[in-house]
Amino acid sequence: MVYIRKNQRDLTRTEKKRFVSAILELKRSGRYDEFVTLHGQYYVTDDEEGPRASHMTPSFFPWHRRFVLEFERALRAVDPGVTVPYWDWTKDNSPASSLWAEDFLGGTGRAGDGKVMTGPFAHANGNWNIRARVGDGSFLTRNLGRPSDPVSLPTRREVAKALSDPLYDAAPWNSTVAKGFRNTMEGWGRGGTVRTFHHNRVHRWVGGVMLGATSPNDPVFWLHHAFMDLLWDRWKKAHPRSGYLPRRKLPASDPQHGRVFSLHEPMPPWNVTPAQVLDHSRVYRYA
Amino acid sequence: MGLSTRRSAATARGGSLTRRILLRGAFAMGMIAGTAGALAPILGKRAAEAPGTADGPAAAGTAKAPGTEPERYAERFAETYRGRHIQGTARGTRPARAAAARRVAAGDAMTVTAVRDVEVRIDGRPLHVMRRADGSYLSLVNHYESFPTLLDAARAAVDELGGAQLSTSPLHRL
Ligand SMILES: [Cu+2]
Repeated sequence: MVYIRKNQRDLTRTEKKRFVSAILELKRSGRYDEFVTLHGQYYVTDDEEGPRASHMTPSFFPWHRRFVLEFERALRAVDPGVTVPYWDWTKDNSPASSLWAEDFLGGTGRAGDGKVMTGPFAHANGNWNIRARVGDGSFLTRNLGRPSDPVSLPTRREVAKALSDPLYDAAPWNSTVAKGFRNTMEGWGRGGTVRTFHHNRVHRWVGGVMLGATSPNDPVFWLHHAFMDLLWDRWKKAHPRSGYLPRRKLPASDPQHGRVFSLHEPMPPWNVTPAQVLDHSRVYRYA
Repeated sequence: MGLSTRRSAATARGGSLTRRILLRGAFAMGMIAGTAGALAPILGKRAAEAPGTADGPAAAGTAKAPGTEPERYAERFAETYRGRHIQGTARGTRPARAAAARRVAAGDAMTVTAVRDVEVRIDGRPLHVMRRADGSYLSLVNHYESFPTLLDAARAAVDELGGAQLSTSPLHRL
């Protein structure tokens, strides 16, 4: 049965409530933190030797598609009526958006330590204790828009420009590629000039734990990546003749041989190939 | 087709972070007490782009033809920034074959890395740092933005932490 992923702004009160409850149940059971850990473990940079499945790599999109899907399956095992909504940050681009309201994800963090004080994930409620963490606090942190040195979310026009590129990705298949949809959307600048854009910039805009290796500690992670997943669909629709690259396994002479995943090479930890996740239309669709 | 379930996913342990913390720990012993005097950051220095014939790192100090010399980089600092004590060292060598590899790949990505050690502490607590292929750095606090020098990455981590201390054992929990 195909299910629908909705824009978070279109969720009813009940849908929000059920989504939040299912997340809290995963958290209670310990399953949620396994996802956080997995994300941290697979965050390998392109300066390191060895395979790189999740970031700074062509399989950024397919890896995260599968990652969100696994999470959604876990949610649906708790409540079969729940799906992961997406956050279109080109439209809902302010801390005043209903996304950050008390009845959904809660708002920004307080001054000083960035502690989130409102909503179901506020530490005081006792349901959201962060385990895999960077700082010494075990509470959720955010700094929406970073008022002290403001960042803005990517605009529709910026996203449209990235979507207009018919090239999926290019050699050297890492964070230094200056062209192609994948790295433009992932958002790596070169050597610290334009430091962050698109996907990375959204992590930057939210701030707090969303900026660290354990970013899924903030539930907004899933809504952000569901939208990234939808943008990948839009790109495919806009360029029916283009496809995932590299198509074939890179030759042994290529410095990225054994490090990036071509179309039919299985990605860890699930052993699925990018080709196997290209079509999700029989599993879920976007409203 | 496609999205067939295969569990085991989240229970698989990558081990990569564990490996890195071990490497880093071993390095901390030797380095902090070691090399006296600040090494000027020489990041960004590129080896001559001659055809690489050596297929392994050449021994340091050995005179070699251009392009077979391993490429070295180093950075070292200690300062008080916004009331926090930050210190760091980065040094490493990229094998000569990296230069040749770079010419195979489009762009100027440094895709082959050899010996490399990075260490950053904030108020004495280790901050996990990683390098990107272009030589810039990310930290565990800020994984979606990179900085041209280790010092920039350390300062940015302080900015981000606010008043918080780093967790003493974040990677045990990861
Ligand atoms: Cu992300």
